Amino acid sequence: MTVRPTQPPSIVRRTLSGIALLPGIVWLAMFFIVPLAMMFVVSLGSRGPADSLILDRPSLDNYARALDPVFLPTFWNSIRYSVATTLLCLVIGYPIAYWISRHGGRNKTLLLIIVMLPFWTSYLIRTYAWMTILSDYGVVNSILEALGLTSEPIILLNTDFSVILGMTYGFLPFAILPLYVSIDRLDPALVPAARDLYASGRAAFLHVTLPLTMPGIIAASILTFIPALGDFVTPDLLGGPESTTIAKIIQELFLQGRDWPYGAALGFLVMVVTLGGTLLALGPLRREVAGT
Amino acid sequence: MNERHDGSSIDLEKQLVRYMIQRRLTRRDMLELIGKVGAAAALAPVIAACTSAAGSAAPTNAPTAGQTAGQSPAAAASASASAAASGAPAATPVPQPESELRIYNWTEYLSEDAIPSFKEMINATYGVDINVKTDYFGNLDEAYAKIGNDGGGFDVTFPTGVDVPALLAKGAIVELNKSLIPNIGNLGAEWSDPGYDPGNAHSVPYMWWTTGIAYDRDRIDENLTSSTSLWDPRFAKHIGMLDDWQEVFGMTLIQLGINANTTDTAEIDQAYNRLAEQRPLVRVWDTNTRRMMTSGDVWIGQIWGADLYRIQKRVKKARYYIPEEGGVKGSDTMVVLSGSEHPVAANLFINHMLDAHVAAENTNYIYYMGPNAAAKEFILPEILEDPTLNPDQELVARLQELLDLGPAVRDEYLKRWHQLGR
Repeated sequence: MTVRPTQPPSIVRRTLSGIALLPGIVWLAMFFIVPLAMMFVVSLGSRGPADSLILDRPSLDNYARALDPVFLPTFWNSIRYSVATTLLCLVIGYPIAYWISRHGGRNKTLLLIIVMLPFWTSYLIRTYAWMTILSDYGVVNSILEALGLTSEPIILLNTDFSVILGMTYGFLPFAILPLYVSIDRLDPALVPAARDLYASGRAAFLHVTLPLTMPGIIAASILTFIPALGDFVTPDLLGGPESTTIAKIIQELFLQGRDWPYGAALGFLVMVVTLGGTLLALGPLRREVAGT
Repeated sequence: MNERHDGSSIDLEKQLVRYMIQRRLTRRDMLELIGKVGAAAALAPVIAACTSAAGSAAPTNAPTAGQTAGQSPAAAASASASAAASGAPAATPVPQPESELRIYNWTEYLSEDAIPSFKEMINATYGVDINVKTDYFGNLDEAYAKIGNDGGGFDVTFPTGVDVPALLAKGAIVELNKSLIPNIGNLGAEWSDPGYDPGNAHSVPYMWWTTGIAYDRDRIDENLTSSTSLWDPRFAKHIGMLDDWQEVFGMTLIQLGINANTTDTAEIDQAYNRLAEQRPLVRVWDTNTRRMMTSGDVWIGQIWGADLYRIQKRVKKARYYIPEEGGVKGSDTMVVLSGSEHPVAANLFINHMLDAHVAAENTNYIYYMGPNAAAKEFILPEILEDPTLNPDQELVARLQELLDLGPAVRDEYLKRWHQLGR
């Protein structure tokens, strides 16, 4: 029995795989890298008379303006909504993913589809639905009054509560899927093995299941946190005046302020902060993945 | 013969490998290097294009349909447009309209009969079978982005009056050819020389409205008259305001007895402080006034007058009033765009809309009041008598128009507006 050393792939195969990568690279380049580069160029420009764009005198002035402390409260709004949404999605999503994985049996795929089903409806329509449900004379308040629990409507809409509720609802499928994948990969024999070694149910979960599904948890967090940070629609529709997010400010700078360079600089700043946070989070993920 | 076991049988590959070995580059380093070089090579033409585009003052907006190939810069286009418009009447006694007209308008903002009657008129008067195409927009930001610096391929559009100076400065609109618009005399006196466009040189008012306050008479069993009702703590968390900094600041400044277009930062600060008092009482900021007023969450809100009609379909007892302290009026206008390829038809269309009968029919259809004095005798009495759509002339004279305050002042307002949304 001879062991043939593995040959490096032939030229033909390498070319073919290169060509296979091409659509992805072109897509990324055209719709991600190029727009990002254009936005950066715009952020270095300035607004001219009649709100025109002046690009031939690049400077970092807009970034200095974007670091204005007046934006801190709205930035904080964005962050606290995103963090709350992420935590809630994890807390709610993990049990669901765990249940589907462990007890789904033959119906696993069907259950996953049911989880994804709301996704097939427009996000905007689902947000409007929440407005109807939470309104002073909407579903929740009508039921409470009919049951005699309240005599006056409770203000649910246009509050922090409604914003976080709407965002959690919208991002839950994003969280459940990576969690499911991670939990599903666990060897089902591990937990009984831990029990055999005199671990309680809680200890088995904390010391076996949780650490091993950490990559899934981190992936779910990132997939939830980043879109939530940029979510403009939900806080705008479901929130009140105090729910203004940094995304809305950027939109206003572009449209009502007609100051594209300023808006672009602020947008870039938010993106850099988000990227920095993500890389920080990815650190433990990389170590986990490398460890397993 | 030169087959190596690493499979690199091409000379270029050999050189590449030799390069890597000599410099102790790993495969990962090589990929990074290629990535950086590639990115620089890809971005360089983009940055060069952006800076050269700004330098030559060509439109930096994406090319729009219908005007791509052969699109001359804005200056040349407007020169040719006005040359055609002003040159044609001098050359021939009857300027011929072109065979096409492209309109860019709000949805539901033109009566169904306006365009057919225009086509009939053109056919009867000039024997031209004109083809009219209309595109629609849902909000101004989208519209202005599409219009860009030269009209985006359209001939006529309907910007808000306050935006006309900015469009003019951008070079997006051209002077009207008054010789083709004799009906301009039908305009009421108060619209013949608006602040945003002296002498109606570049625009003609189309429809006008007021900004005021609507409230549900069922929930608020009083007759309100003042804008301070929007600050009433009894209505806490049931107050709605427009999500428009200029309208919100405008109403507040007028309430404080200050001109709604003030540029004085001390006065703007006064308005800001007043609005900060109101902030805890406000339920929502929304420009979709129908949505704001019909959900039942908001009992009293700042709205545009003409929206009352739609709100009353759901909130039967909705009432509208213009604050006794004074209010805001605004108008939409008709303009001819600088990139227009059919300037004669465009001017003729504007003239057609100023015709007394056509204007009246338009008002009767879309339920907004027009600025056309001659049309009044043909407008439905229920519109004429409705004080929300057609307020008392004396009151109208007291209303202020919101003007374009320029980028520096706008920034001052916006800074405080952002601070409100904490």
